[in-house]
This record gives sequence, structure tokens and C-alpha cells, in this order.
Amino acid sequence: MAKTGIALILALSVVVVPAGSALSEIKSGSEFLSPELRRQQADETRNPAFFWVEQGRELFSRRPAPDAQACIACHVDPQQKLRGAATRYPQVDAATGKLLNLEGRIEQCRVERQKQPAFGYESPELLSMTAYLASLSRGLPMQVKTDGAANPFFEAGRAFFERRQGQLNLSCQQCHDGLVGQKLRGDTISHGAGTGYPAYRLEWNDVGSLHRRLRACSLGVRATQFDYGSAEYLALELYLAGRAKGLPVETPGLRR
Amino acid sequence: MSFNARITMPAQAKAGEIVEIRVLTRHVMDRGGQSDGKGGTVPRKILNRLTATYAGEPIFRFDMHTGVSANPFVSFTTRAVATGDIVFEWREDGGATYTRTARLTVT
Amino acid sequence: MSSAISPRSRRPEGGLDRRSLVAGAAVGLVVAGLPGRAASETAPDLAQLIARVTEGVAPERGRITLSIPALAENGNSVDTKIAVDSPMTEADHVRWIHLIAEKNPFPDMARFHLGPRAGRAEVATTLRIAQSQKVAVVAALSDGRFVMTDADIVVTLSACIDGG
Repeated sequence: MAKTGIALILALSVVVVPAGSALSEIKSGSEFLSPELRRQQADETRNPAFFWVEQGRELFSRRPAPDAQACIACHVDPQQKLRGAATRYPQVDAATGKLLNLEGRIEQCRVERQKQPAFGYESPELLSMTAYLASLSRGLPMQVKTDGAANPFFEAGRAFFERRQGQLNLSCQQCHDGLVGQKLRGDTISHGAGTGYPAYRLEWNDVGSLHRRLRACSLGVRATQFDYGSAEYLALELYLAGRAKGLPVETPGLRR
Repeated sequence: MSFNARITMPAQAKAGEIVEIRVLTRHVMDRGGQSDGKGGTVPRKILNRLTATYAGEPIFRFDMHTGVSANPFVSFTTRAVATGDIVFEWREDGGATYTRTARLTVT
Repeated sequence: MSSAISPRSRRPEGGLDRRSLVAGAAVGLVVAGLPGRAASETAPDLAQLIARVTEGVAPERGRITLSIPALAENGNSVDTKIAVDSPMTEADHVRWIHLIAEKNPFPDMARFHLGPRAGRAEVATTLRIAQSQKVAVVAALSDGRFVMTDADIVVTLSACIDGG
């Protein structure tokens, strides 16, 4: 039995390593923080991101307009019913075949069902709603689908991750698989797991989305910065979430 | 929601006991000085003072300048003397004020 | 901004250079490795800033515990705790605690006003530290005396700056 196990691990490593991701070794972004900052992340008295969660909870329960339903009118008992929902995003929307992240799903609900104007990516309202809904899955393992209809998106995300880009001619993989744990000026290179987002970043003095973080990555290697909610970042988000399968949701995260 | 505050302290304390009060505040604490795009600069807009009164008497004051972080945290202590409200008042550049109240029951 | 030729960035005598400070911080030796300093060795600018808040009175060193990281993760929010050894009675208490960062654009960072009802002279906050420098704490005592301490802090720039 033990021998089979070892043989299997060897076989897996042969398959997995050339593909560029030793999935079992992926660590959360918080593992690369100081113990102090890691401790503060879950502390409501210290992590400012909980203000956004609180704002999201209020928005969720409030009618957006006198003639419109509040989110909670359909999603009753969100603490129970929506617990775990965020672990399955990004996901392919069955009706349209499009890849939606949590932000995309919230905007879809708001426009199509509540008949309200979209909040807009990176607006305080969308960040708050996303942080609130993701926080309902805090501690639950990420379990995005990467097969079936999601597979082409996942593979596109992988291709993005592995492709050299920008003036520095770097791929995500070169640092976030190859140099994990090493220092890049004041930062420690992580695996690029997005399980804490939306997160309060000290660098921002603010809560921001994963796509805001990815735009900073693109800028860092002097590559094209894609739009918030772009197909490129959505696919990358799915790939990163696929790599992070099994890691607990930490939203609202606290990051450097 | 440009301002919000989370006050953390025990709801009850024995007379004479020293209680710790932790205050986390949501505020951008804008240092100002950036271009406003119209040839001028954005004025400073920070919370410049937090005062706490307990049973009507001032017990703590925190004068803040631009060296205090965005979304600042502050903690301090007070001795439980009598059941009463601890009133927190923030003063913002421009004159706006914000108030929060927490009750301490002394046994 | 001070440059390498600016007198403000001159290395204090007996101090460590930045490289060894960073290397030391990595193994947690900064505090232990720094030579003890008497008040007379404080850089002139900081001494002037302190004299302004004490109205010229020279503070004594000691009685204050300043807990601030030797290496800040990000200068935008640096956890800082201050405890002054004081009985906090009517007769003997701390009136205020003042924080100075000599190289911040506005060196006076904050002041905590306390009184005997505090019970303990223990406060904490989150500071903005613009660059690697010395952070000083001055406390005013009820008998008119002042005490102080200071600490060196290294602020590294984040590699992953935000492009929006």
C-alpha cells in the first residue's frame, strides 16, 4: 500500500511538474506575511477590511430602489444558504457560457434581476458585496470546476500564467512557481493564490479586488495591464483558483 | 460610508479594574497635496482628533497628524469607576464630527 | 527627499549601515545589535524636534518601552505600542505621549493625552513612516519632567507597487 502510494506520487510528480504546478504545495498568500499581520487578518478589531464586509451585509439586505427587491428577498438566510458559494467561483454561467467570477455574478444579478445599473468594477459597493459574500465561505476549501465547460478557460488561464510577457520578459510561473519564498525587495514571493481577495492591502490603504492585484503584477513586469473583469484576468483567476483548490477562503484578507 | 468605527471593549468590569479600549476607524486620512487636476492641490482631510469621555469626564484624547495611517487603529486604557457611557468623538478637517457610544457596566 | 549627499542622510556615528541593518533584521538581531545611545548622541534635527515639544527641556532617557518593528512590512501602516513606566496616580502620572518621525514630511505624528484615570500609560496605534529613520517618543510627566526613547526603523519599498 505504502509502496503504491510512493509510486503514485512519483508518477504524479512526473505528470504535474512539467505542467508547471505542484498543486499539493500551493500555500496561501497569508503564509508569506509576518506572523503579526497573519494574526490580524482574522481579527475584526484590527483588519479594516471588515468595514467593507459590514457595508456589503447592509447592501445585501437593503432595497436598492423602492420598487426593487433586496438581495436577501431571494437569498434568504445567506449565512447558511450562501455559505460555500464563493468556493465555486469563477464558474461558467450555464445560460450564456461565459466565465463569471463573484463580481460578475453580483453584477449579473443586479442588472438582470434587480433591474439596477451595474455597480461597476472596483466601486466600493461591488467590493463590499464581493467581500461580504466571499466572507460567508471563510474557512471552506476552494473547489472550482476546472473540467467540462470550464476547461477551455482554465487552460487559457494556464497559458497566460506560463507565457513570458512584458518588457521584463517574465512569465507568472517563473516567480510564482520557481522563486516562491524568495525576496523581491520588501515582498516575499507567494504562489499567487487569490484566496484572500477582496483584501485590504497596506500598499493600497484600501480594499481591492484580485483583478486590481493582477493589474499591479502586470505593471510589475511591464506588461499590458488588462481591464478589470477582462477575459484574460478572468481565465487567470480561474487558473489560480484551480491551483488553490483545497485552500480555505480567507476573505477579507490582509496583505502587504 | 467614508467613516465608520469599531469599538472593542468589555461590556462589564469590576470597579477599579483597568479596561483596554480598542478603536478601529474607517477613514482615508487623506494627507492632501495631490494635484486636483485643475491647477490646485487637494486639501488635507484627516481625522485630526479623537476624544473619549466617560461618565461625562474626558479620559483620553488622541491628536492625529498625517503620520497616522489610513483606517487608523488606536488603543488605550481606563479604570472602571461607575456604570456609564463612554462617548467617542472624532473631529475631521473641515469641521465635521462623528460620534459613537459604548456602555460600560461596572459591578 | 534626502539623497546620498544630503547631510540629513549622513550615517550616525557608531550606527550600522543599512545593508547590515537589513541583514540583521532578517535574523532578528537588529535591536540586540544596535549600540546603546545616550541622549547626547541623538542627531541634531531630532533633538530640535524634541526640544520644540518639551519647550527646551532636555528629556531623560528611559521609562518608555517603544514596540515598533525594526523592519516595517509597509510604511503605510506600522503597528506601534508605547508603554511608560508610571503609577498613573493623581500625584505621579503621564500627561501626554508624543510621537516624532524626523524624516516624515510632517515629523509630529501624533499625541496621546492621558491622565490618572487611564490606570496604565499604555497606548498603541498604526503609523505612517515615510522612510527608514529614527522614531522618537517623548512623554510629559505630571511633575513637569520629560522622558524619551527612540528606535530605528527600516522601511522597505514594496516591489509590487500598485499600477491601479
